[in-house]
Amino acid sequence: MTSLTEDHKELNFGIDGNINNCDEIAKHNSEIQRETSTVVEKGGGGGEEKEMAPLAGSSIHRSSSRPQLDLSGAAIQGNFEERDPAILLPNQSDDISHLALDIGGSLIKLVYFSRREDQPINDKRKKTTTARLGISNGNRRSYPILGGRLHFVKFETIKIKECLDFIYSKQLHRGGMDSRRWQSKGPSTENTVIKATGGGAYKFADLFKERLGISIEKEDEMNCLVAGANFLLKAIRHEAFTHMEGQKMFVQIDQNDLFPYLLVNIGSGVSMIKVDGDGKFQRVSGTNVGGGTYWGLGKLLTKCESFDELLELSQRGDNRTIDMLVGDIYGGMDYSKIGLSASTIASSFGKAISENKGLDDYRPEDISLSLLRMISYNIGQISYLNALRFGLKRIFFGGFFIRGHAYTMDTISFAVHFWSKGEAQAMFLRHEGFLGALGAFMSYEKHGLDDLMVHQLVERFPMGAPYVGGNIHGPPLGDLNEKISWMEKFVQKGTEITAPVPMAPPGTTGLGGFEVPSSKGDTLRCDASELNVGVLHLVPSLEVFPLFADPKRYEPNTIDLSDRSELEYWYTVLSEQLSDLVDKAVASEGGTDDAERRGDAFARAFSAHLARLMEEPAAYGKLGLANLLELREECLREFHFIDAYRSIKQRENEASLAVLPDLLKELDSMTEEARMLTLIEGVLAANIFDWGSRACVDLYHKGTIIEIYRMSRNKMQRPWRVDDFDVFKERMFGSGDKKPEPHKRALLFVDNSGADIVLGMLPLARELLRRGTEVVLVANSLPALNDVTAMEVPDIVAEAAKHCDILRGAAEAGGLLVDAMINIQDSSKESPSSVPLMVVENGCGSPCIDLRQVSSELAAAAKDADLVILEGMGRALHTNFNARFKCDALKLAMVKNQRLAEKLIKGNIYDCVCRFEPAC
Amino acid sequence: MERDGFEKNLGEKELRKSVDEVSNLALDIGGSLIKMVYFSRNSDSSVDCSSNGTLNNSILSGRLHFEKFETRMIDDWIKFLSTKQFRFCGSQCNQASANDTNIIKATGGGAFKFADLLKEKLGIILDKEDEMDCLVTGANFLLKAVHDEAFTYMNGEKEYVQIDQKDLYPYLLVNIGSGVSMIKVDSDSKFERVSGTSVGGGTFLGLGKLLTKCRSFDDLLELSHQGNNREIDMLVGDIYGGMDYSKIGLASTAIASSFGKAISKEQELEDYRPEDIARSLLRMISNNIGQIAYLNALRFGLKRIFFGGFFIRGHAYTMDTISVAVNFWSKGEAKAMFLRHEGFLGALGAFMSYEKNDPADEASHQIVKQFPNGSYCIEDGFQSSDSTNASDDGCITCRLQVTK
Repeated sequence: MTSLTEDHKELNFGIDGNINNCDEIAKHNSEIQRETSTVVEKGGGGGEEKEMAPLAGSSIHRSSSRPQLDLSGAAIQGNFEERDPAILLPNQSDDISHLALDIGGSLIKLVYFSRREDQPINDKRKKTTTARLGISNGNRRSYPILGGRLHFVKFETIKIKECLDFIYSKQLHRGGMDSRRWQSKGPSTENTVIKATGGGAYKFADLFKERLGISIEKEDEMNCLVAGANFLLKAIRHEAFTHMEGQKMFVQIDQNDLFPYLLVNIGSGVSMIKVDGDGKFQRVSGTNVGGGTYWGLGKLLTKCESFDELLELSQRGDNRTIDMLVGDIYGGMDYSKIGLSASTIASSFGKAISENKGLDDYRPEDISLSLLRMISYNIGQISYLNALRFGLKRIFFGGFFIRGHAYTMDTISFAVHFWSKGEAQAMFLRHEGFLGALGAFMSYEKHGLDDLMVHQLVERFPMGAPYVGGNIHGPPLGDLNEKISWMEKFVQKGTEITAPVPMAPPGTTGLGGFEVPSSKGDTLRCDASELNVGVLHLVPSLEVFPLFADPKRYEPNTIDLSDRSELEYWYTVLSEQLSDLVDKAVASEGGTDDAERRGDAFARAFSAHLARLMEEPAAYGKLGLANLLELREECLREFHFIDAYRSIKQRENEASLAVLPDLLKELDSMTEEARMLTLIEGVLAANIFDWGSRACVDLYHKGTIIEIYRMSRNKMQRPWRVDDFDVFKERMFGSGDKKPEPHKRALLFVDNSGADIVLGMLPLARELLRRGTEVVLVANSLPALNDVTAMEVPDIVAEAAKHCDILRGAAEAGGLLVDAMINIQDSSKESPSSVPLMVVENGCGSPCIDLRQVSSELAAAAKDADLVILEGMGRALHTNFNARFKCDALKLAMVKNQRLAEKLIKGNIYDCVCRFEPAC
Repeated sequence: MERDGFEKNLGEKELRKSVDEVSNLALDIGGSLIKMVYFSRNSDSSVDCSSNGTLNNSILSGRLHFEKFETRMIDDWIKFLSTKQFRFCGSQCNQASANDTNIIKATGGGAFKFADLLKEKLGIILDKEDEMDCLVTGANFLLKAVHDEAFTYMNGEKEYVQIDQKDLYPYLLVNIGSGVSMIKVDSDSKFERVSGTSVGGGTFLGLGKLLTKCRSFDDLLELSHQGNNREIDMLVGDIYGGMDYSKIGLASTAIASSFGKAISKEQELEDYRPEDIARSLLRMISNNIGQIAYLNALRFGLKRIFFGGFFIRGHAYTMDTISVAVNFWSKGEAKAMFLRHEGFLGALGAFMSYEKNDPADEASHQIVKQFPNGSYCIEDGFQSSDSTNASDDGCITCRLQVTK
């Protein structure tokens, strides 16, 4: 068990960079051990070992109970999980299967699930907060839905052997096993059944049996397609998009208004399915002119070796040399009477009837394009006619033919648009190729995914996403070291890669994206139009923030990155910040050679993400600034930089706490109303301490924290650029004799560590507490820049409470000081009836916050809240600036970015925003 | 049509023309074919004055002739016409006046494209008639005036359909030329092009030539006779291991993906028989047209779908495939019908337009068109009883009413 403990230590460290106290770790581990032993009792045990990710090298030995063969697999596979340890849910069903296949004529699509609890932080703060807030299901271990990750991978069918190896090396076929069976029968997998669909499910059944010893259970293809599409359209917010003239527009589908729709699946042939509800559908039409026709005819005509090669050819083609256009017939004129322009194709391949030309006289590029247009256009037309016939508003196109290929989508869209005279729109799905596999996956019982809601899914794009996807080949990229090596070796700059595309790394962060085998010469690069599919993280504990005035109209992002100039701006900003961030990250890990290498690899990986997005802004779906910033944090975590700003945060917290008593004294000498103004000024002034802002980073070199804070506060000149302080003041103090009731509970979304929280938000919280308002400090679940995390806040509060009775009483009442106060019990009992000060995590690890996906404890805490205070650029400006709430809302921030200042408030850098919005 | 055939063909015609008076030449110049319709008066027939009591009118008995040439050989065609002093215009045959320019009714895209060429080489001015107008006029004329013009074709059985003239409209007219137009016809004069597809006869010939090195449409059709599409098409059974996908009503022999087997790594173009390729191509295109036509008929609640245009050419397998497609998608509720003069709708329509466009022209001819009276005009369908190529070259014996 020693090694297991060792694992936990490391694992735990991976998640929670703030635990730097050995006792904490020990307690933590013992708790986990208690839980695992529960599993052992309940489920016969062993299951957690399967999922427990070993660290590279160090913990392989713990797998000794496994069959010998698994050792290598484990060594390769496990390392991606180390930062996200998987802990079994004690009462989960043990027989959840992990793999489903769609074996088509040309591609094998895999969807597999890796178990993982969403956030296995298990601190005491949470327990007490949970108890305090009365969160019924706050104990995540009672959740019926399994947290974990859904991965999307594909192989070429002709390379089925690689697919089998992949499954074998990752032991995916055993994931479906009952863990008891695992334990008792050893490697026997005779009864393992894997769901599969597609024609190949019949064809290759024997091969799977022979090689992996698993039985394929065939699922009906149409059932799977529909189940997959329904799941995606309901569960993923911006799954569908339109594509006209090269422009992608993501479409938000109202879940309640999804049905009926027409699903057009373009595989070798084409099926058109009218979908009326879950499990309710009918194949109404189809056509035999589909992807197989394109490839088949294309191969005969051009000698292309692969579908993708053929597609790529088409991008350089000119169909006018082969197609007969209306203009060709009408001597260059339109046939306007019936609405045909001169460039309309009158007859596909109609020019190829020419007497004196043979096949060799036409460019393969032109042939491919003519063929593509003919087939896409035809499919679009027949689809529209069928939609019309059944009065269906929406047509979704999926299947391997499309492959995110811009021209194909454009052509289909054009056909639908043309024939419907603009009334119908073709829509496409980001996971188009995986409908069948996903549907097969859905056909397992007890996976609980049916009930999954949009807000419980988070999509992440791991390291290789900018390059990789699709057909997996080459050896598995296993541990961190291999990942780094790959980055070092092959990524030179930007997106230029001069190497074989790596295999999707196994483990839970496996790459799920499409791979674009567009290798040409020695530079390998994605087709710009290709969309990437990330790994879907299922986080059952996430909920929608309950205080939206209108949940349907909530849009977190203030900045629209689909605006090219915005994207370019942020690209530049993030690129410029990169080297500084890398320095900090490397320093945070001790500045070792290893850290240097990781830092370098991180920089390359993140630059590649940025470059990919510049090239194709829609590559990762609808991306807001919040997502982009989170991507950076995720990328850091991927290279095991747990908390790049750890020491900086610590230093600044200490420095700020040192001057806090003086500040509190100063405040207490003021009248109540003057104090409120000073407090708000203080919040705004302290918000200048932000490592996310370049301008502020420069400031740091010029003075100490308290100097900057004082200078900043003294410069506060009202009116601020956005100044609702008087309205806020009136709400707090009333006018004349009318004294309004204090708020019952306030949620304070805090931003940075150091002065920002200590000298800004904490004194404000104290004032609210003093007025009898319960205060919930809402902080990040995971580190992002120098933002304070929910794990750090209790320590800060405890330290501050040493000098302040109000804070101490409230913190005790909120259960924050259970441990910290043990040794200072002397004066703690004087205010037993104090309103509580609590801390909750927000469920995210980004400098911004998307309130559609917050932790269950925040959601629970919000239910009784009547005041929301959002502080800082990330949470109050970049996101949520336009959000409206059912309760009073105060948005406070100093704008530390000239461009944002101009754009948002028509002001300048260092202007302040104090926006108060009474309850809607 | 090959050059030899072309010359030979015209040579034969020439013989006849020397006997008959030719008038009212009308053209439909399409992307691949030039279709001609003209009237020849029986040399022995005298002018039969106003049998219907119309004064100052005379009725010419004669025949309507239908001929076609490949558009790409237009230079040969022009040379031929000019050397043979072919007389085109309606005004000549009447010996009224050999005056001014010759005006010929023409339709099709080529009427625009080749207008200058014809004027320069032959001194002909093309009077351009709208293509859709002509198609519809031609179809209406045929469906109303000619017995046994329409027929169904299923499993090799040709069955003539008696169309009640009063219950003709509305119908869907699918004209398959190089491309395909689908026209909803509501009355003699009211129609709308509701759809179409670029996958038509031009696609068949174009792709067919690239794939098989066939030189002509007819060769390609001939090849397809001997082919087996299973070699190249991916059938439902190929995917489902020989089984039907009965749940959704697909037989194992249904084509899942046209040319879907050609993705095979081992085989290249040379490894497939041209016959099989031609067959697959024909099925793909016919099936597709049948399906789109049916969907459009359904959309407008049209009971009848008539297929015309040069793609069909009375080719049994083509008609069969289209019929099967319509039958399959409509679950037996709709039937594809074909026209014996399928290729000449446009040209015939242009021909018909002589009458209405020249009210001032004393010498203009009128093909008498009070069809319901049935007293004259079209006597009886096809003059030629030879079954070989009736619908391509079958003349229509008729009388022409000449307005004095």
